[in-house]
Amino acid sequence: MEQEVERYKWIKMEQEVERYRKPTRILHWFNGGAFIILFFTGLILFIPSLGFLAVDSWTRILHRIGAVIIVAGPLIYLLTNWKASWKGLKEAFVWGKDDLEWLKAAPRYYFLCDEEAMPPQEHMNTGQKLWWLMVIVMGVVIGVSGLIMWVFKTTAPAALLQWSIFAHDVAFIALGAMFFVHVFLSVIHPLMRPLRTGAWSSMARGKVSAEYAKAHHRKWYDRVSKGMKESPSADE
Amino acid sequence: MAKAILYDAIKCTACRACQVACKGWNQLPAEETTNRGTYENPPDLSFQTWLKIKFTEVKRNGKMDWLFTRQACMHCTDASCVKVCPTGALYYHELGFVAYDKDLCSGCGYCADFCPFNVPRSDSNLWTGVAKMDKCVFCTTPGLDRIAEGYEPACVKTCPTGALTFGDRDELVVVGGERVQALQANGHPNAYFYGDKELGGLHVMYVLGDSPDVYGLPVDPKVPAAAIAWKDVIQPIGWAVGGLALLGLGINYIIAREAKLRRELPGRKEE
Repeated sequence: MEQEVERYKWIKMEQEVERYRKPTRILHWFNGGAFIILFFTGLILFIPSLGFLAVDSWTRILHRIGAVIIVAGPLIYLLTNWKASWKGLKEAFVWGKDDLEWLKAAPRYYFLCDEEAMPPQEHMNTGQKLWWLMVIVMGVVIGVSGLIMWVFKTTAPAALLQWSIFAHDVAFIALGAMFFVHVFLSVIHPLMRPLRTGAWSSMARGKVSAEYAKAHHRKWYDRVSKGMKESPSADE
Repeated sequence: MAKAILYDAIKCTACRACQVACKGWNQLPAEETTNRGTYENPPDLSFQTWLKIKFTEVKRNGKMDWLFTRQACMHCTDASCVKVCPTGALYYHELGFVAYDKDLCSGCGYCADFCPFNVPRSDSNLWTGVAKMDKCVFCTTPGLDRIAEGYEPACVKTCPTGALTFGDRDELVVVGGERVQALQANGHPNAYFYGDKELGGLHVMYVLGDSPDVYGLPVDPKVPAAAIAWKDVIQPIGWAVGGLALLGLGINYIIAREAKLRRELPGRKEE
């Protein structure tokens, strides 16, 4: 309840809404950093002409350090923020009519910068949900297959190792391509500039202006600003 | 002109001189093992045992038969290891073998995962993953290259019974085929010529006294489906997906920036 009051204060005084709490933001940046390490140390095995960079296994050491970070981070978060985790996970799997509307409006929005085109969105819009869902599903695929390739390299049946490598590659392609889309739509797309307005500030500082929240996440904003029965966690 | 080794399992007495010669020539240390109640030793291939003779005991009509096979790289024409090697460390020698540039090895171990004969081995460290693969390279290690000097591989050189021969692959195919026919007519009705057609033709071919599965060899070895699905299907798709994603984002940026600028023109100010 105290945090709820706190939030009103923010809205009133600074006209800002908290969008991501600190643990969530820390997790995001740790995972982002680890992802970049993992992406490039994996990419060089994908491009034969860059293969020489992997010689003598040193990139595998980096890859494994990245792997430990990217697996341990969410696990620690799950254990210490299980309520927020549960809400966050649910968010990825609850889909409705609004999402279809969003997808229909997305080309107008992203190509023609028509900000009126978008139907009101929840805490996460459909595009964010798509990426988040993909991170969860492909994250499990790439994590489990990677674990098999690491720990059971000499003991697992050959077919399991072979298909793990295949699955790791599929997830790598999906996550790798979508990672660029994610970065682009968060900070590079003309509508996301200047940086202080939207996505960047929500992940960097955790807060967005009330105006931005109203324009981009109307349903969430209404819920939060009316102080409906909600958990204190901002990143639901 | 492709070269090959022909191994005659019937002529082999399992003296294992080839094992020793392999270690000697390639400067591989001996391994300390314990007596497991068999002459077969060491128990398995390793990064410092590239060749060993495998012993198989078979019972036929109440009679014990003792079978020997050579266990080492088969030097396939369609080699899975070459297909999956990401650094080009494994490559086709001009004479057909699967040669290996150890300096280029990243230690990923994909060659071991995909080899239909389970041949490549590594000294992999479980935690760090630091590793170098090793396998028979047909005596073509730089500095120890017998083939380039016009010699036969060390194992062939040392074989006292003539079970191993080295020569032009085409000729050995004929020799092996005739030998199998002769065996079939002389008390080995199931005699089998292995490696003539398998995986596009192996560069180590076996004359066997019985069908390959009796010797523990895969009857119809194939490049694993996962290797094809991975290298020939998913990776090209990956290139397309990655390329199209970046291209699409670039196009989107250009169009969206135009659109945004137009919206911000004076007179049409919306924000």
